Amino acid sequence: MRLIARFAQELQNGIEIVDVYDKEVQKSLLSFESLKIETLTKKYPSAIWMERKINDEFGVEFIDSFDTRPLIKHEHFPSDIYPLRKDFNATEINFTEYKPYDYEAIGGDGVFQVAVGPIHAGIIEPGHFQFSQAGEEILHLEIRHFYKYRAIEKMCEGKEPMNIKKIVERISGNESVAYQIAYVEILAQASNTEIPKSLKQKYSTLLEVERIIHHLTDIGFIANDVGFAPALALGSKLSEEARRVFAKITGHRFGFGAIKEEITIDFGSLIEFLNYLEKELEFFRDWIYDIPSVWDRFDTTGKLSVEKAIKYGVVGVGARASGVKVDARDNDFYKNFGYQMQLGKKGEVSDRFKLRFNEIFNSIEMIKNFETYDNEGLEFGNFKDGEYSAFTESSIGELFMYLKIENGLVDRFFVRDPSFINWQAFHTTIYKDIIADFPLINKSFDLSYAGSDL
Amino acid sequence: MYRYWKKRFATTLEQDEELEAIKKELKKLVKKKFGGSLAIRMVDSGSCNACEAECNALSNPYYNLEELGIHFVASPRHADVMFLSGVMTFNMYHHAIDCYNQIPSPKWVIAIGDCVKDLGVFEKTYAIKGNSIEVTHYIINCPPSPKDIIYGLLKFAKKV
Repeated sequence: MRLIARFAQELQNGIEIVDVYDKEVQKSLLSFESLKIETLTKKYPSAIWMERKINDEFGVEFIDSFDTRPLIKHEHFPSDIYPLRKDFNATEINFTEYKPYDYEAIGGDGVFQVAVGPIHAGIIEPGHFQFSQAGEEILHLEIRHFYKYRAIEKMCEGKEPMNIKKIVERISGNESVAYQIAYVEILAQASNTEIPKSLKQKYSTLLEVERIIHHLTDIGFIANDVGFAPALALGSKLSEEARRVFAKITGHRFGFGAIKEEITIDFGSLIEFLNYLEKELEFFRDWIYDIPSVWDRFDTTGKLSVEKAIKYGVVGVGARASGVKVDARDNDFYKNFGYQMQLGKKGEVSDRFKLRFNEIFNSIEMIKNFETYDNEGLEFGNFKDGEYSAFTESSIGELFMYLKIENGLVDRFFVRDPSFINWQAFHTTIYKDIIADFPLINKSFDLSYAGSDL
Repeated sequence: MYRYWKKRFATTLEQDEELEAIKKELKKLVKKKFGGSLAIRMVDSGSCNACEAECNALSNPYYNLEELGIHFVASPRHADVMFLSGVMTFNMYHHAIDCYNQIPSPKWVIAIGDCVKDLGVFEKTYAIKGNSIEVTHYIINCPPSPKDIIYGLLKFAKKV
């Protein structure tokens, strides 16, 4: 079984820990008097961030856990509050005295630490990376995130389900459409309706366009990280063109607010662009596949082994490049429209780079099949109380979303971004690579900080 | 080789005359007021990454900000201007202010996106502090498009 998420929610008589696996959901209720439960980390190492987060937010203790350091509570964060409990309503807290964080570090002769972040040299999101180095070689890396922790989960509580849609679509800008689709699916479940097939085709079209834009940007930036700037010029040009087409069909360059109850897509101009893109991309591929100095850096770098990918439950591009068959699109609906799972072999930077090319070609093929001019809409009725969940394949990987409605209001909102899992497996890929390759490996996964931090 | 690439880009690039006019004016102002070079340090204090994506897009062949003498630098100590995006989270607060303090004077702050001004669609929670750094110029929208940002830079350059 693959662990998808472990999260907590407060009920009247205690705190419930929900474990979501790919085949089942397990729930355990802990009474307020004894907030203790067995850790899952022995079997599922990627449960560790989930458990540290629950401990920070609810004060639940995990028995036999190998890591009990705070996760979201940084140096100045008060340690005596449990913000996701229902009795916590403050919107302002004060900084406390500086408490140092105990980083994982490897000792030994000549081994030294390199601290990177939270503010990085490029235009990227904040996060901290602590390297243990033996000369140029990386021995270990600890990733420390949650600098962008905005408490989205708490922000959504107590609101009407329709009112948090605008927040949900801005959790992670690069995956906005995926978040919106997951949320609309949940709302459809809650009002006991089904999304009509033609509308689903349109949603999927927008999701694939979002994936194409994300992959195009990455292709340029990955090559740029080995110093091959012409690829960035071409990749960023193509992604800009794709984004403009996206803006034309959705009204927004990132598709904020694009997933509505009723949408019309100008398939004609979209497919015309895709035909052009396909040709450009074939040129791009044939050109860059022939440049040996690029592949010299891509090959054997940042290897995510199949064993580690399965052990950590890695999802999305990262998993598929290692040959692990995980994709939320792997179902009959998508297969009928030409979906083919793209797989890599070794899980190196080169595999992830090639996989992005292959996925774009597959996405283009699917969009051409998604073409529809039916105008079926979706109508939400009253949202019934209950617990709902949905999965979507964002451009990074499998997204899991959970919503609990009580008395018509949001009682608990939870998202497990694909990055949240993949970040935790990241340190296994860099062992004995040189530190100068770190940005390259990081970009080849291209994970979200905002989605992971929430 | 150069001619080959020039041809490849020239045939497909869509020209935007309004944008070209803004860029021309901005280039003159950068030359006049900043000695032909304006260095920007971008700091994300808790955005959704869309503002960062748009700032990255400024370097693509459509906008090509570098030809105006405006470039993004790796360290605040090399910067004249700080681009600030995001809601300013509790956990980023000290780091963002630290970054601001490292920029040598004279310095200016340009806010990118609605979040810095009024949190945008987000609401105040315990994990959000809100910005307290003095902002010289706001470039609003969620997120501002690359063209909005270039136009905002022009307005900023006129202001200082």
